[in-house]
Amino acid sequence: MDFVEFLINRGDDMLELGLEHAAVVGASVLLATIIGVGLGVASYRQPRSREAILAVTGAFLTIPSFALFILLIGPLGLGFLPVVVALTLYGLLPIVRNTITGLREVDPAIVEAALGMGMSRGQVLRQIELPLAWPVIITGVRVTTLVLLGIAAIGSIVLGPGYGDLIFTGLARVGTPVAVNLVLAGTLGVVVLAVLFDVLFYVIRKLTTSEGIR
Amino acid sequence: MTPSNSSPAGTPGTGKVMIRLENLSKRFPGQKTDAVSNLSLDIYEGEIVVLVGPSGCGKTTTMKMINRIVEPTSGRIILDGDDVTTTDPDALRRRIGYVIQQVGLFPHQTIGENVATVPKLLGWDKARVAARVDELLTMVNMAPETFRDRYPKQLSGGQRQRVGVARALGANPDVMLMDEPFGAIDPITRDRLQNEFLRLQREVRKTIVFVTHDIDEALKMGDRIAILQGPSQIAQYDTPEQILTAPASDFVSDFIGRGASLKRLDLSHVSDITLTQWPTVRVGADNAELLDVLRRSDKGAVLVLDDAGRPRRWVAPDDLDRHPGSPLDQIGLVPEAVVEPHATLSDALNELITARFSVSIVVDAHGVYQGVVDIDQITDAIRSMRAAAVARARARFTEDPAGTPVIGS
Ligand SMILES: Nc1ncnc2c1ncn2[C@@H]1O[C@H](COP(=O)(O)OP(=O)(O)OP(=O)(O)O)[C@@H](O)[C@H]1O
Ligand SMILES: [Mg+2]
Repeated sequence: MDFVEFLINRGDDMLELGLEHAAVVGASVLLATIIGVGLGVASYRQPRSREAILAVTGAFLTIPSFALFILLIGPLGLGFLPVVVALTLYGLLPIVRNTITGLREVDPAIVEAALGMGMSRGQVLRQIELPLAWPVIITGVRVTTLVLLGIAAIGSIVLGPGYGDLIFTGLARVGTPVAVNLVLAGTLGVVVLAVLFDVLFYVIRKLTTSEGIR
Repeated sequence: MTPSNSSPAGTPGTGKVMIRLENLSKRFPGQKTDAVSNLSLDIYEGEIVVLVGPSGCGKTTTMKMINRIVEPTSGRIILDGDDVTTTDPDALRRRIGYVIQQVGLFPHQTIGENVATVPKLLGWDKARVAARVDELLTMVNMAPETFRDRYPKQLSGGQRQRVGVARALGANPDVMLMDEPFGAIDPITRDRLQNEFLRLQREVRKTIVFVTHDIDEALKMGDRIAILQGPSQIAQYDTPEQILTAPASDFVSDFIGRGASLKRLDLSHVSDITLTQWPTVRVGADNAELLDVLRRSDKGAVLVLDDAGRPRRWVAPDDLDRHPGSPLDQIGLVPEAVVEPHATLSDALNELITARFSVSIVVDAHGVYQGVVDIDQITDAIRSMRAAAVARARARFTEDPAGTPVIGS
C-alpha cells in the first residue's frame, strides 16, 4: 500500500492520536513549567540548593525512559497518568536550569534600583526579575516540549495516548507491508506536532516578551 | 559626640538636621576589618552633601546604609527625627529617592513606567500617576510626548541618567541618595547634567547625599563636603569654600590637589567683589574731552561707551593721531574681555590674563558697563577669603578643640 494512501485512509486516526499526543505533552509541559519555575525561583539565590536541584533534575534524565514507564506501572497503573508523571520528571531540567540562569543573569544594579525604590522582594521577583528572565525561561520550556514529544511516543508501552500507538503496532508487525507505514506515520505525526509547537512558542514568546528587551 | 555649634550658616539649608548618622559601622560578612567604622554625620535639610574620597574609603557603603540597602552592623540612622535603623526597610526606601551609578532603569518597562515606579508602589490612582510622570519628565528636560513610551535601550546615556533622576524624584521624597549619578558620561554632557541638576535643586530643595570620587564635582555640587579618609575617619566636613581655603589636614590638601586657590575662584563671583572704575567717554565725545579724561587718570587708554552705556572701543592717544577725525567707535580696539556679574572670578581671571589692558570689563545683563576687574582685586579676594576661612576654622577650634565640628567619633 502506498504511504500517502495509508495516511488518507487513517486520516481520522492520525488526527485523534495527534490530539491525544499533544494533550499528554501539553499537560506534562505545563506541570513541569509550574514545578520547574517554582524550584528555580526557590533556589536561584542559594548556591547549595541550586546545585542540589540541578543534580536531581539532571539525574531524572539519565533513567532510561523504557524503564521508568514500566517502574511507574506499579504505583500508577496504565494509561495517561504514568505517562504524564514520567514526562514531567524528564521535562524539569531544561526549565529549572533556564529559570536559574535567566534569574541570575538579571543585572544586579537593576535589582538594587528596584529594592532601593522600596519594592519588596516579592515585587522585585514578579515585576522585575521574572519578566527579564522570561525569554530564557520560555526557551527552556520550548526545549522541554521538543524532548517530551519524542519521549511521549514510548509511553505507549504503558498504554499511554498518542502516536506511540502507531509505532508500537508497527513494531509488533515487523515483516508485514503495513509495518513500515505505521512507524513512518507515527514518526511523521510527532515531527508535525513538533513544528506546530515550535510555531506556538514563537508566537507566545513574541507576545509575552517586552519590546524593551527583544 | 555631635557638637551643637554646627549651624550651617551661609548655606541654603534651613539648619534642621534631616539625616543623622550615629556611630555607624559596617563589616561585610567574611571581612576582617570594617568597611565603615563608627561614623557620625549630620546632614542638614535642603543641602547637597557630597561624600568624596579615594576609592574604597566607604562612600558607597555609607550612602547605602542610609536606605539600608546595606544594613549597618552597629549604630543608628535617624531620618527627620525618626530612628529608622530597624523599621520596615521598604517603607523607608519609598521616602528616599535613589539614583545608582549604573542608573539601573528597568529595560522591559517604558520610560513612563520606570518613572511611575514609586507612585505606583504608593498606590496612587492612574490619572495622578500619569500626571506625575509627565511633570517629572518635563522637570528633567525630556519631552513627555517624545519619551514616555520609549524603552531605555532607545535613549542615550545622558537621557538615561535624566530618567534615573526623574524616577528617584517619583513621589517627591524629601531625601535623595545619588551614587556617582553623572559618572559614566562624557565631560560635556556631565557638565550640562550637573548644571541642570543644580537648577532643579534650586526649585525642589531636597536633602541630597551625593557620592563622587571627583573633587571638582564635589566642589561644584556640594553645599557641604565630607572628605572621607578610609573606614573610620572623616578628614573634613565643611563647605567647599572652607575646604579650599582652610584644609584641615595634609590629607585634605593632597586630595584637593594643586590649584586650590584657582578652584576657590570658581566659587566666588564677580558680583561678590567691589569693581574698579576705568576712565570712560561717550561715543560723541571730542578729542579734547577724551585726552582730558585720560590725563586725569593713570591709564593709557579710555573705554568708549555707546549711548546705551555699552563698551565699544579702547581708544588710546595714538589712535587719535592715526585716524584724525574718525568717530570714536571706529578706531582703537574692540573690547573682548567682557563678563557679567554672575561670572566666576575664575572666568574673570581667565579673561583678563589675555586682555589688552589686563582687566576684564564687567557689564550687566543688558550689556551696560559697570566697572572692571583687575589682577590686584583677584589677589585681594583670595587673600581675604583665606583670612576669613582661617578665622572661622580657628573660632571653631577654640569652641571645640576636640576636632572639626559636626563630626563625632
Ligand atoms: N558587598 C561587599 N562585601 C565585602 N566587602 C565589600 C562589599 N562592598 C564593599 N566592600 C568593601 O568595603 C570597602 C568600602 O567600599 P565602598 O564601595 O563603600 O567604597 P567607595 O568609597 O564607594 O569606593 P569607590 O570610589 O571605588 O566606589 C572596600 O574596601 C570594599 O572592598
Ligand atoms: Mg562607590
